[in-house]
Amino acid sequence: MATRLPLAGVKVLDFMWVLAGPGITRAMADYGAIVVRIESVERIDPTRTVGPFKNNNTGAEHSTLFGNNNAGKLGLSLDLKKPAARAIVLDLVRWADVVCEAFSPKAMRAWGFDYESLRAVKPDIIMLSTCLMGQTGPLARFAGFGNLAAALCGFYNLVGWPDRTPSGPFSAYTDYIAPRFGLAALMAALIHHKRTGQGQYIDQAQAESALQFLTLPIIDTVGSGRKYSPIGNDDPEHAPHGIYPAAGDDRWVAIACRIDEQWQALCAAMDRPQLAEDPRFKTFSARRRHREELDRAIGEWTRARAPLETERILQARGVPAHTVANTFDGNADPQLLHREHFVRVNHPVAGETVVENSRYRFSRTPAEVKRAAPAIGGDNQYVLEKLLGYSDDRISDLVANGVLG
Amino acid sequence: MAAGAQPNVTSRVAMLSGCRVLDLTTERGLMCGQILGDLGADVIKVEPPGGSSVRSLAPFFAGQPGPERSVYWWAYNRNKRGITLDLETVEGRDLMRQLAARADFVIESDHPGALAQRGLGYDDLRALNPALVYVSITPFGQDGPKASYADSDLIVMAASGVLILYGDEDRPPIRMSVPQAYLHASADAAGAALIAYYDRLNTGLGQQLDVAAQESLGLAQQSTMLAATIGGDETRRMAGGVKMGPIRVPLVWEAKDGLVTCVFLFGSALGVFTRKLMNYIYEQGFCDQATRDKDWIAYADMLLTGREPIEEYERAKGVVAAFLRSMTKAEAFDLARQHGFLIAPLATIDDVLQNPQFVAREYWQTIEDRDLGLKLTYPGPFARFSATPIEYRRRPPRVGEHNREILVGDLGLSEREFGDLARRGII
Repeated sequence: MATRLPLAGVKVLDFMWVLAGPGITRAMADYGAIVVRIESVERIDPTRTVGPFKNNNTGAEHSTLFGNNNAGKLGLSLDLKKPAARAIVLDLVRWADVVCEAFSPKAMRAWGFDYESLRAVKPDIIMLSTCLMGQTGPLARFAGFGNLAAALCGFYNLVGWPDRTPSGPFSAYTDYIAPRFGLAALMAALIHHKRTGQGQYIDQAQAESALQFLTLPIIDTVGSGRKYSPIGNDDPEHAPHGIYPAAGDDRWVAIACRIDEQWQALCAAMDRPQLAEDPRFKTFSARRRHREELDRAIGEWTRARAPLETERILQARGVPAHTVANTFDGNADPQLLHREHFVRVNHPVAGETVVENSRYRFSRTPAEVKRAAPAIGGDNQYVLEKLLGYSDDRISDLVANGVLG
Repeated sequence: MAAGAQPNVTSRVAMLSGCRVLDLTTERGLMCGQILGDLGADVIKVEPPGGSSVRSLAPFFAGQPGPERSVYWWAYNRNKRGITLDLETVEGRDLMRQLAARADFVIESDHPGALAQRGLGYDDLRALNPALVYVSITPFGQDGPKASYADSDLIVMAASGVLILYGDEDRPPIRMSVPQAYLHASADAAGAALIAYYDRLNTGLGQQLDVAAQESLGLAQQSTMLAATIGGDETRRMAGGVKMGPIRVPLVWEAKDGLVTCVFLFGSALGVFTRKLMNYIYEQGFCDQATRDKDWIAYADMLLTGREPIEEYERAKGVVAAFLRSMTKAEAFDLARQHGFLIAPLATIDDVLQNPQFVAREYWQTIEDRDLGLKLTYPGPFARFSATPIEYRRRPPRVGEHNREILVGDLGLSEREFGDLARRGII
């Protein structure tokens, strides 16, 4: 018998696009919410144009980035320039518990879908707006992707080598922080609604959520005047601490020792017990001082073997170590496989494809990831007929008048 | 508060008011409880007598160590009360069980099984309180071949598939200089805990949530790890940019006085921005008409199929580079705001603090500790709620600050019992 999922019966009208917003509703769909995602045929979600693509087919239904971020949702395509499409949206607002959107601040207002207007239709609606910099303020209309917010928040200046210009984090970093806070915000609002009947409006600035991850350097910069700049792979709490070369093309292994016992175990594993007694490396502060020589000695040992072999030798001795997984390794990672991290789903256009599972495991009501992301307009009939109760004639008219796309 | 966002303020009751959270986490999970505290829950940080090991983590205020001076502690313990309990003693565990019997959430980040050995695992506490939401945050999860792996931020970064994408091609990959892995896991844990709590409001039943930092952080590899399963290509790092097959797309560019990020990409969605930017660059005299009029929508396909030589793309990048080098970071950002270009300066922490957007939104919050002579600036609320705004009600607790309040006031211990526990070092 299927368990009743935590969010079964929660109805979400989803105007999100790109990365951060849809990440929130993906998590809600995993746990049972019905999510209806509105998409424009003319202006498709940009992530549909970004890989990885199934079999390198760059068509709009083959992006696994989109597929991964939108699994489990229903797709309704609407041409919001048409009044009839906007009327459908208002019907969906009446149907929904939650409306969420990730446009730049003016878009929803232009359609008449700002919070005040939606509240007039559904007084207890919960609405979340998530955008780069927030709904108000001089940069409210500065729209764009997570790399821009990551730059403005200071993340770019925290990844790099001290002797070079910073390289920054990969791609749109704040897009991977914001959805976690957006989910917590929406869930808290849903809990509040359940307890009091009260809806509300939530203004999430991706940058303001992401800066929670820089709380420490912010407090420290203001409080102690310390300057934060990138320090490569150095770490004041660990020695050794680094990414060491391994056998193979662009293969590396991470090693981090916090306490003397780990360092001694590393020396034993390398079969170089004399290193542990070497005055340059005997104490933590000595290892910190001589870290270039230290890294060289470790690198000589690691470069001779595959990263996985080093990982196993060292972990068997309790030394923190791991292969630096490349983008093809995850697929065979025994831990991820044990956790059933990869889920096969059938996409109506792209065929069998793979998405990632929920990022946490619930003991009693585990996530259900069964549906692929929607094709553009793939659930028009279902949404209009089953969720809104429109008649076949009415749906045919909408199709004939080009309202659905 | 957002303008136009002041509707039906009928109650100022915090969203999670009345919810009790017991926070047993180490440095790995502190932010989860802080998020629940921000949302109004009564979060009790449980530390061993003498204080959490997090209190000995650098950096310290003005470089002076001390249990109340760790910036790390301050960063992730606001909106919490604090008690000390020795969970190595029978009495300490018994008090913990009494607290758990009336709590809504327990959050812990110990090694799998460590709390069960003390009679404080999920099964032990569920027997006392079936409605309990028990959140476990670990590097790799509660079971599986890597469940007992030794870890650190760097190790989790490496395992997640994220680290390989950071850094220069000619050097080893690098991590972010401020640890991030467990923040991702902790923030995930907060959202998960609230999903489980919502379920509990319907069913009356709690459960255990198993949050693995490897999987949480994995979100930041942007689905690149799925390529292997669907016949796609490997993604490799490129300093200050991304590589897409033979196409090397820079994200970091030089301005006259420093660095900016600029998106110069293609396709039906992103190519529109590039077209707009190239129009402007042409108007400013940095390129000819033919360069402006390249098909930026189909450009990636043209490069991949060889219809456009890579050298031409490199030349076009040179045009953009010359354009950006002709102006300061501030000038480039002003243009971006005016015209909707995807350009922003690479901010330092000082720049972030002065950013007019955060100032105008009154984002920065101050928490003061007069006794210690500290005035701390925090990032403000992670979201703005119209009816139930997040408030920073409490500074992080001192060691054992709320022992009496909670053990005597809430649990109903007598003053004599309390004094006895204190004398014997159990609290």
